[in-house]
Amino acid sequence: MPNSDLIQMMKQRAETVQAIVSKITDMEEAVRYTVDLTQKQGGRTVAAAGLNPDEARLMKTACETFQLELLEFPLRPHTHEIHTSFTPADWGIAETGTLVIDSSSEDVRIATMLAETHIAVLPASKIKPDSAALEKELNAVLMADTPSYYAFITGASRTADIERVLAIGVHGPQELHILIVEEDRE
Amino acid sequence: MIKTAQDMKSYKKQLKEALSDKFLRTALDNFYTAYRENRPAVYDGIDFEGIKKEIATGKDGALPYLKELYEEFKVHAETAGAKVHIAKNAQQANEIITAIAKEHHVEKIVKAKSMTAEETFLNDHLEKEGFTVTETDLGEWIIQLRKEGPSHMVMPAIHLSRHQVGDLFADVTGKKQNSEDIDKLVKVARQELRPTYLAADMGITGANFAIAESGALGLVTNEGNMRLVTTMPRVHVALVGYDKLIPDLKTMLRILKVLPRNATGQAITSYVTWIKGAVECGASPSNRKVMHIVFLDNGRLALAKDPVFSPALRCIRCGACANVCPVYSKVGGHKYGHVYIGAIGLILTLFYHGIENDRVIVQNCINCQACREVCPVDIDLPHLIKKTYRAVLDQDGKTPAKNLILSRVMKNRRLFHFILRQGYLAQKPLARKGPMIRHLPNFFEKRHGFRSLPVIAETPFRDQWKYLRKQVVRPKYTVALFAGCAVDFIYPEHARALLRLLERHRVQVEFPKDQTCCGLPALMAAEEETARDVALQNIRAVQPENYDYILTLCASCGSHLKHNGFKIFKKDSDWLGNLKEFSDKIIDFSSFMVNVLDVSSEEFKATHKKVAYHAPCHLCRGLHVTAEPRKLIQLAGYTYVRSKDEDVCCGFGGSYSIDFPEISAEILKKKLDNVEDTPAELLVTDCPGCVLQLRGGMDKRRGKIQVKHIAELLAETVF
Repeated sequence: MPNSDLIQMMKQRAETVQAIVSKITDMEEAVRYTVDLTQKQGGRTVAAAGLNPDEARLMKTACETFQLELLEFPLRPHTHEIHTSFTPADWGIAETGTLVIDSSSEDVRIATMLAETHIAVLPASKIKPDSAALEKELNAVLMADTPSYYAFITGASRTADIERVLAIGVHGPQELHILIVEEDRE
Repeated sequence: MIKTAQDMKSYKKQLKEALSDKFLRTALDNFYTAYRENRPAVYDGIDFEGIKKEIATGKDGALPYLKELYEEFKVHAETAGAKVHIAKNAQQANEIITAIAKEHHVEKIVKAKSMTAEETFLNDHLEKEGFTVTETDLGEWIIQLRKEGPSHMVMPAIHLSRHQVGDLFADVTGKKQNSEDIDKLVKVARQELRPTYLAADMGITGANFAIAESGALGLVTNEGNMRLVTTMPRVHVALVGYDKLIPDLKTMLRILKVLPRNATGQAITSYVTWIKGAVECGASPSNRKVMHIVFLDNGRLALAKDPVFSPALRCIRCGACANVCPVYSKVGGHKYGHVYIGAIGLILTLFYHGIENDRVIVQNCINCQACREVCPVDIDLPHLIKKTYRAVLDQDGKTPAKNLILSRVMKNRRLFHFILRQGYLAQKPLARKGPMIRHLPNFFEKRHGFRSLPVIAETPFRDQWKYLRKQVVRPKYTVALFAGCAVDFIYPEHARALLRLLERHRVQVEFPKDQTCCGLPALMAAEEETARDVALQNIRAVQPENYDYILTLCASCGSHLKHNGFKIFKKDSDWLGNLKEFSDKIIDFSSFMVNVLDVSSEEFKATHKKVAYHAPCHLCRGLHVTAEPRKLIQLAGYTYVRSKDEDVCCGFGGSYSIDFPEISAEILKKKLDNVEDTPAELLVTDCPGCVLQLRGGMDKRRGKIQVKHIAELLAETVF
């Protein structure tokens, strides 16, 4: 399947589970999206986990400019105050609109679980057609002797436990934004 | 607390309560319809039948090696810093978990939903030991606060209305809640539970998968609470049934294709999480999670070796067997299971929670095969339910009078038919001159009066045969008619209609005289030995080698004769060859007319009367015949009109409608309501049992729609 079709499918399937998907061109745009959205939602804080030093610097500058607090690591003492979290995704699965995030770092876990809004950056080149196409990569992580916490995330947290009425945002993030970077950020 | 009925009298009382719970009835009815309507779209492009066979084969292949899989899992999980335990039974599991909690000076515990923890009544145990335990899955939290058990394996609080939840949350928060706004109610749980995660010392979860080759657990969730339960506290304990062990990731990914689809109609859940070993944890002095995994046996290892019941261990807890069960849809999970709910619950309860909790509920299966069809791991649930009932009877060492009489009478064809003939005389005064008994004599209870009953025929078909038989010159097909008791003794006109239809097709019909009941009623009463005996009588009577087909007008007889013989004959029986020939030649009326005789519309005069169709359970799911009867209705010159839930049981189920008349009546009511919502003038079906139920119900409600067997329908327009 050509990459543009995979991107389209990823977008469409993620949207059917209430994720908000945008295509962007670079990390600067992603950072900009994050501060804009945080401000628009009246948030005051951003937790950015799993970034490389350059990306972290970009985020720091943007937060300072827009007077948002970029929460410091470890995030555990900040669990009650994370408005927006910003993390990269390792893979995407087009068939189900799923993000795959290695969450072995506790900061990544706290960021992706306790924020009100989670923004994930997904390089277009990392989108696979289905979970079977990721089996080898996933198994490599699981087969290692080291501890791991690996996650498929598809849409925002949800429940239908009261009268089977779908409600979004139970215990996890209330919104999931996916930013697909069409030019590989590496 | 869970109050599963332990005797039939209290069960009947509970059923009555459930049937009169208006909210429950509406909620379950809506769910029942919505689940079934939604399902085809969810499985679009997926080979469900293929995957389910693959999963079943994989699961069966792993069952003899559960101990080896456990050892493999343990090595890998412990290398990554987890500690793995074995619990022989529920008590031991609870004690191991208590000891872990005490060793690590735990006070507060948060839990994510786990059926296995429900199975061991872990919360009760921990609370007695002085721990504070909070369920964090929304539904589980609600029922914990109400001190109830789950009423569904996936949606534990499906029996409750938003108003009940609103009132409960008002009590919890001390603030009035707007019950109409479900989003707001959900946010109450979010706000109330957030601090609980952060304050907890230990998190307890179950797991959907324990992957042997890597030592990782796989968890499939939606709300995000499990992720918090496994992240925030310094200790994590996973309680996992042995049956969750699978060899590899590939197996998990395969099951993951069907689990969310079957459970909640999702292509995938919001979260699928793999946890291996002791991950980073800032709340722990060592910066590593204290991670324990407790594998629960509680009878599973013995079950894995059981030649009959081992397929029950394939279950992946999707809950779909409840979702499609017409009985569940009327009474709900608190009356249809103990801890485990639905068809699988009727089976597992005996093994995990003892005979006292299964003795009564196991009898409440109508055998409609809907659960079997939907099961993603291909468990023959209706069959295992009957096997479970047999095990209950054997353990009790008592045979109910009904079973004694049934076996004695059914094994002796002459006695059986003598009794049926006497029935005609006995009921004569009740029927006056009509074809129906509208008012049952007083010694019957009122609850049986939901349908009029048919009159037993003055002359059974077998006695009419000598006048009806016709010799056909150079026949194209030679066919044995297997009438079944209902056609033979109640509705001989169905068979006469058939003969009329076959006249022009050069079909030599024979009626082997010594044929008797197909044996399904015996199997339904868990009298397998009697069913086997009767099956042999029929093979001897019919002599299948003499015929091209054995034709039946009764879907229940047909599917029983086609499939069940292989389940009840001993593996080394000398009769297996004959049984195979017999089963292979069984054919239902509609398939014979459409696929064998290839009847055309030119044989019928068009009337364009509107006809609704009821698909008998044992035709559409038992024999997988769906297109032929609908085609036949149209070929015969009628206009077929679709009604809602055509393939849902009519509530007959043979003796089920006598054992559980209150439920049978409700299922029938819904069926007839759906038919009356169409412009149909006629309702047809291809099973005399369904005719009995539908016609009886229609007569009782003085409905205008006529109920007919499809053979009768065709005989009316044939030239």
